[in-house]
Amino acid sequence: MIRCVDVALTIPDNEALTALATLQRLGVPVDALTRADLYRCDIEGDGGDELLAILRGSESIFNPNKHRIALRTGANPLAGEVWIDALDAPDGGDSLAGAAVPAVRGRGLPGIRRLERFTAWRLFDRDGAPAATSVVTAAVETLLCNPAFQKATVT
Amino acid sequence: MSARAGILIFPGTNSEEETLRAARAVGLAAELVGWNAPLDDVRAFDAYVLPGGFAYEDRVRAGAIAAHDRLMGAVREGAAAGKPVLGICNGAQILLESGLAPQLDDAARSQAGFARNAPGGRFRSTHVHVKLVLPPARSAITATLPDGLVLPAWASHAEGRLAASAAVLGRLQDEGRVAFVYCEADGRSLPQSVPNGSALGAAALINGRGNVLAIMPHPERDAWTFMHHDVARDRARGDARTMLAASGGIALFAGFAAAAERYARA
Repeated sequence: MIRCVDVALTIPDNEALTALATLQRLGVPVDALTRADLYRCDIEGDGGDELLAILRGSESIFNPNKHRIALRTGANPLAGEVWIDALDAPDGGDSLAGAAVPAVRGRGLPGIRRLERFTAWRLFDRDGAPAATSVVTAAVETLLCNPAFQKATVT
Repeated sequence: MSARAGILIFPGTNSEEETLRAARAVGLAAELVGWNAPLDDVRAFDAYVLPGGFAYEDRVRAGAIAAHDRLMGAVREGAAAGKPVLGICNGAQILLESGLAPQLDDAARSQAGFARNAPGGRFRSTHVHVKLVLPPARSAITATLPDGLVLPAWASHAEGRLAASAAVLGRLQDEGRVAFVYCEADGRSLPQSVPNGSALGAAALINGRGNVLAIMPHPERDAWTFMHHDVARDRARGDARTMLAASGGIALFAGFAAAAERYARA
């Protein structure tokens, strides 16, 4: 089963603010932008609560003073959202999963087939609604993804 | 009159002082230029250097935000007019993100990038050598350099692995866009010479016109004898004049200065 956990800042996200200002200057019609680290785990059985608990317990992934962490119900990007991942380096050394892999494997969560980490950007329009796919695509093409070494996943 | 070179600073740039020193050492009238400088002042320079660092804290991606900074509009205009542009490390990342290098088909979009190092995706700070693999005349910046020149430099980055589609990599090779490759001190290019898994062993790319050079390792950090990591420094011990002489990586700045002078006189 695919389970997704996202970790986002509760303090002001300067990276998202900078990206928003740049997109607006480039003419992309977006009014708000959020960013989260998203961990997608392919695991035998459910395992969602266990995965959430392990990531919550990893100090390099989650700091309760500045992050919120949540288990998602779905396994794909939300409306107005894009997931950015690195294309694999020849030796697989480009994985963004980083600290999550030893954190999850080291805690003995059984049955993990694959663990990936994405940067999840979510765009909103002036009414606070998720941005249209065309707007997300424009943001991806102008700033959020360099296709030379990254891939973008949009619903 | 010396050509004027603008050493461009974005929030997070951190190698501007040593870059300025190297530019002045080869005779350029070089000045530091902040990201909020009036664009008309920026346009007045004959050449530009984008130093290393972490422009805009590498937000989104290394070089991605700076590539769209207003300052880059002036750099883009200057490059189109034939002004020499040199990007070092983060400056090289900015040039690739902006599309100013390698600029296949004169496209104004990113066609390649410097991705996380391989193996492991980790930051590396290590001494390297790079070799000029183009005919020097192919680029205004290398035109006065010896064929096959080997330069010492410091690689100091987490994202220095040239990455692009197979089609783009093929064209970079076929169209002579790889200016320098990593090598040993004697010029041999071996797999272990490459500190970051870079495709084609590439350390530097140029644009089609040859006036924009994006180089990942820092020549300005090995530009005086006392900085060297070889017998040249050992031989200079006890000889202050030699120890403090510009050498090694300064050659790239000399080539850049010659290009800037040619542009200024034209």
